[in-house]
Amino acid sequence: MVGSPVLLIAIPLLAAFLIPLLGMVWKESVRIIPGLVLAYLTFLSASLYIEVINTDTIVEIIAGWRPPWGINLVFSPLTGFLTTIMTFMGFIVWLYSYRFKRNVEFEAAKKYFIFLMLLVAGSVGIVITGDIFNQFVFIEIVGISAYALTAFYTGRDSAEAAFKYLIMGSLSASALLIAIIIIYSQLGTLNMAQIAANIDNMNPYYRIIAMIFFIIGIGVEAEIFPLNGWAPDAYTEAPGPVGGAFSGIVAKAGIYAMVRMMFTLFDIEGPMKILIVIGLITLIVAETSALRQEKLKRMLAYSSIGQMGLVLVAFGMGTKAGVFAALFLMLNHAITKPMLFLSGSFLTFNTTEKYIKQITGMAKKMPVVSIIFVLGALAITGFPPFSGFWSKMAFLSAAADENLLFIMATILIISIFEVVYYFRVINRLFFFEYDDKISIEPHKPGFNGMIALFVLAFIVLMIGFYPSSVTGFIDLAADDLMNTHQYIDKVLQLGQTIIQ
Amino acid sequence: MESVGYYILGVIVTIIVAFTVGLTYMGLNRKITARVQNRKGPPFYQNFIDAYKLASKETAIHHGFMQHAGPAFLMVASIMSVLIIPVLNDGKWFPNLNFNGDLIFLLYIMVFGPLGMALGAGQTGNPNSAIGVTRGLSQMVGFEIPWVMALVALMMQYQTTSLVDLMTVQQTTGWLMFSSPFAFLAAVLAMLGMFRYSPFDIVGAPTELASGPASENGGKYLFTMMSSGSIFAFAKLTLYVDLFMGGADNLIELLVKTFTIYLIPMLYGMVSPRYRTEQAIRYFWGWPLFFGFLALVHAMVF
Amino acid sequence: METILTIFIIFIAGIAGTYFLGKLNGILRSVIFIATLLVTSWLFFTAVSPDVIIEFEVMGIMLSWGLTPLAYVFAIIVFGLSIIIGIYAVKAMEGQRSLNFFFANFLISVMAMFGILISNDLISFFIFWEIMSWSSYFMVVLNHKDVQRSGITYIIFCVIGAYAMMMAIMIIYSSTGSVMIGDFISNFHAFSPDMKWLLPILLLIGFASKAALMPMHVWAPGAYSNSPMSYTALFSGALSKMGVYGMVLVMIMIVQQIPDGYWIKEVIAWLGGITSAIGTLWAIKQDDAKRMLAYSSVAQLGYIIVGVAIGTPLAMLAGLFLAVMHGIFKSTLFMVVGAIERQTGTSNFTEVTGLIRKMPWTFLAALMSIIALAGIPPLGGFIGKWMLYESLMGSNHYLLIIVIFFSSTAAFLYCYKFLFGFFLGQEEKEWSHVKEAPALMVVPMVLMAIFSFVLGVFPGLILKPINEGMQFLGYVSTDNRFWEMSMIFNDWGNQVVMEPIVYTIFAIFLFFLIFLTLKGYKNTRYVTTKDISSSGEIPREDENFTFITGFMQPFFRAVAPVMKRQIDKYYNSFGKGLEALFDFTRRIYNGNGQTYALYFVIFVILLLMFRDSLF
Repeated sequence: MVGSPVLLIAIPLLAAFLIPLLGMVWKESVRIIPGLVLAYLTFLSASLYIEVINTDTIVEIIAGWRPPWGINLVFSPLTGFLTTIMTFMGFIVWLYSYRFKRNVEFEAAKKYFIFLMLLVAGSVGIVITGDIFNQFVFIEIVGISAYALTAFYTGRDSAEAAFKYLIMGSLSASALLIAIIIIYSQLGTLNMAQIAANIDNMNPYYRIIAMIFFIIGIGVEAEIFPLNGWAPDAYTEAPGPVGGAFSGIVAKAGIYAMVRMMFTLFDIEGPMKILIVIGLITLIVAETSALRQEKLKRMLAYSSIGQMGLVLVAFGMGTKAGVFAALFLMLNHAITKPMLFLSGSFLTFNTTEKYIKQITGMAKKMPVVSIIFVLGALAITGFPPFSGFWSKMAFLSAAADENLLFIMATILIISIFEVVYYFRVINRLFFFEYDDKISIEPHKPGFNGMIALFVLAFIVLMIGFYPSSVTGFIDLAADDLMNTHQYIDKVLQLGQTIIQ
Repeated sequence: MESVGYYILGVIVTIIVAFTVGLTYMGLNRKITARVQNRKGPPFYQNFIDAYKLASKETAIHHGFMQHAGPAFLMVASIMSVLIIPVLNDGKWFPNLNFNGDLIFLLYIMVFGPLGMALGAGQTGNPNSAIGVTRGLSQMVGFEIPWVMALVALMMQYQTTSLVDLMTVQQTTGWLMFSSPFAFLAAVLAMLGMFRYSPFDIVGAPTELASGPASENGGKYLFTMMSSGSIFAFAKLTLYVDLFMGGADNLIELLVKTFTIYLIPMLYGMVSPRYRTEQAIRYFWGWPLFFGFLALVHAMVF
Repeated sequence: METILTIFIIFIAGIAGTYFLGKLNGILRSVIFIATLLVTSWLFFTAVSPDVIIEFEVMGIMLSWGLTPLAYVFAIIVFGLSIIIGIYAVKAMEGQRSLNFFFANFLISVMAMFGILISNDLISFFIFWEIMSWSSYFMVVLNHKDVQRSGITYIIFCVIGAYAMMMAIMIIYSSTGSVMIGDFISNFHAFSPDMKWLLPILLLIGFASKAALMPMHVWAPGAYSNSPMSYTALFSGALSKMGVYGMVLVMIMIVQQIPDGYWIKEVIAWLGGITSAIGTLWAIKQDDAKRMLAYSSVAQLGYIIVGVAIGTPLAMLAGLFLAVMHGIFKSTLFMVVGAIERQTGTSNFTEVTGLIRKMPWTFLAALMSIIALAGIPPLGGFIGKWMLYESLMGSNHYLLIIVIFFSSTAAFLYCYKFLFGFFLGQEEKEWSHVKEAPALMVVPMVLMAIFSFVLGVFPGLILKPINEGMQFLGYVSTDNRFWEMSMIFNDWGNQVVMEPIVYTIFAIFLFFLIFLTLKGYKNTRYVTTKDISSSGEIPREDENFTFITGFMQPFFRAVAPVMKRQIDKYYNSFGKGLEALFDFTRRIYNGNGQTYALYFVIFVILLLMFRDSLF
């Protein structure tokens, strides 16, 4: 074993604190350390994941207090799967932003990397923790890093976006606290497994109230309608790679928290109407808003929100096939959306407003980046033979199994709109003339950015042509989520434990 | 079908008969029209003299390949139609080329002639011929519809697309003119358009301007067009006789019947002013179409 | 390894080679391109046998590839056309932009079509269908013309069709657990009555959009006109047939099994008839040759769909035969327009006239194709139309015959317009420099023209594979006589009855041609079209007397009421309405932080109020 799950949180936290100190000594270390840390985290997460798949879930106990009194970390097929994706995407984001503000502004770069570390640490923490208050803490950590990163450019718009995010985040924190308080007062424990075991004993009235506040609290982070007003602004104003990090890492953590709560904590079986309804509304409003956007990043942000809505609908179906489809969608989205944000960031590099009009004809000047963007667009809209097709198919198959024809039809009609706005951008890139008056200067992407994009593109193609490479993992993760009892047993009876 | 030699003999004889009868009828048309208009008019054999004159003229100029191909297409159409339409009942005439389903073939061949001629006229570059062609084609779309409706009604009623079958049927059920009156009416009205006499003569627009496909074509071209026109006329008249009047058993009967039918466009044309093209098309899609519908209904019900 | 896989590998190698090696050298690119097409076609026609089936599993679903006799007919169209058009394209695209991408994409399209035809399961079918969609999309927008409008319209219709298919496929998969087309057909009777209607309709929407059946045809004029003509030849000739292929499968295999399925076939047949009538009318109106041919394609596809939808053996034979013929003559016509555009720079009738002496071979190809299109004997189009009429008579669709005949007669108008507009009429000084298209372009066109002629005389060449395809569909072999059919086929396809007719036609034609030409040959000299009588006024050099603008105007005055409404306008207003609606929803995100906080509070209250019904 290369390490234990707690390192996944501890090391980035430590690095975040150390970066300013080491930065005083050697400026470059500010950039290198995150890279090393993220690389190590990816490696650690992957190897733990492989071990978990082959043997058994890892439950790690912190500070010697056994559950249900102490905090424990759970590294299971599901959480391991998500963690690996998140750390890997963190690495990619680091790789892309390695040269960020190099030789220009040291302070800003330092802060950027610190918060990136915190963001990753917090997101991983949300996923692998087994204690709801611990989760709350990590949500707050993610929140603070996210606010800071949103306001990164210290302009008026960025500040406004961050402030909105802050308001919504604070409201969500309050709601979460209320939920946690209710649960704690009724059940006397903060441990997820314990709560799951005893949830039936809870007064149904309180149970529903708690669930509502949980949904609202986590919903802000998971970008559900109508709590996602902050999201378009935040994604637009944050730097490009941060947009990638948000969509690839943070949103996933939020969705995870939501479904962990519904599936495990409250042990709901069968279709969850609330998730389906909210997911559908999120999807419809987001995709139709995306159609009218003129700024590239804002359009991508709406698209991202819409995809999260779709994922929620898939989870809401409550069947194993639905969960499988949802996880597959999450995986593809985690790879493809950052790819779109990163390549979009390259394309709109030399402008501040980032209008789509300004990248007219860019394909002539930046062919490789444009092709990668097109690849991302084709993949997200679900064209074969790219990755998005298989996940969409899995979703439709799951919906067909449950005879949810109306949902299928709605999703497909919304997909038509998705195709329209993505293809509009593709048209602008490739099939319009490059006009000096409208278009901006092309930007020569750095070597590191290109490698990041190539890696992502390769994964998209690989999943597209050979989906079986990932479906095995997703299957196991889906099993894990569906099986609440297994979770409870593992934690409480201590499956495979490490004692700190 | 007997030997090829006999077949070729039949073709030649048929063409000669068609040519002769057609030219004679056209001559008679001029004579009768003149008499109605209270003048003497040319002798009825005038058209033969005209044909001979045209054939012997020398043409000084030509405009290219299509100008030669155009009249050739036209001749192909007229001769093929006369070969397919049975001249006399029960194969008493020379064997010809009819086959099951030849009514459809006939429809297309009859259209092809003017189209080919139009192509030939096009190469001359005379804008008037182009105008004439557009008028002609538009008008054709007009009258083809009731014509096809009539034919379809007949085909529907007797479950066949073969001309010979329809002729045979008339042996037993009597002339189709009487047993499918609406089809006959529609077909006769369509015939007015086919012959391009007044009021549907805007295609050539005689005395209006030198328009129509015949402009720019003199001498041998005009000869070919004229002969083709006469053969075509004979073919159409025989077709009508075969379809509606029970065919003919000998040549005399054929002549009498075809002349009777020929009187209809001739006399109607004498007293009608000319329609513009769109008026002509709308006319065809009025009463004739209505009769066509009635014919279809009649065929479906009975 | 199996031939099918070999063909795919060669395709992929060809695509990569054409694109990447083409960046080095243009000639290398053309060579690889043609070589790929030739090798795959040769492999296909010699080595692929109908018994071989390849199966593999992806994500728990069995995919299966193999060739069916019906698909073989369409594959003949695809491969035959791709080779000839490929040779044409090599020369025609000289000097255009993005050549590497064009040729690579061309190969992708052909490969996708091949994939569609060998798919035995619905998922592969769908995958290749989508690949074909996006590769054709890129061709439509390749020339940067009218991109947002025609491109987006096209992709919307592609996607509507594709998603309708996807929904049907997923329902089938979850109900029957298998995606094999064969299984679907045999299990069809077990579906619930609602499904029995929904599934074929969904599938038909998908296929109708590709086959440009009304009202799913509005993408066709824009898409066909804006792609490079070399590709449009393939687009209209082969890609649209993929829609027909799908419709044949659905119509025959499935609709037969629905009680009252008869009505679906009637509706589709009538839609086909209306498409052909209205398409023809709009074709006559166009002044741009590309748009005219586009509408003409829509109309011709109408005929094919009528034949396919009626479903009697003769009708199906007619429909499939017309499909092959349409592929041949329509692609030739698009190639002709491409040649003219290359030589003169424009494809508009009102700009170019009088090319007959300058581009005689092109004219010959165009003439033969137009004659085939119009359905005039003895070329192939007549055989198809004849069979179609006979079948309509035989199945009592009398009104439909009238509609088809109307459309066919009106087609003469645009046929004439096409020939007259480009080739005949007055010759102008500005076009006196125009020369014949290069041999590499002319030869394919003339070859196709000859081929349409050959099929007219020997239809059996194609009818035999079609017959086998139909037997696969469950029809009795058409070697037996029907009461409507008068032709007896022998193995060579000689018409026992058609032969003398054809020979007679030729004899007469040649006789008169020679007579007219040779009589007084020595004394007749050629003059230009300026030397005409024209009511006594000889046109001067600078006066252009070609009558082409407002061609067929009297006809339009007569049919004006029918052409007042255009479906395009309805779609446009629907699209605009949607955009307005979306503007409204967008305003939910009005950027005001307090509003968002308010949403939050409202949401809390709503959830608390309705908590019982939500869970």
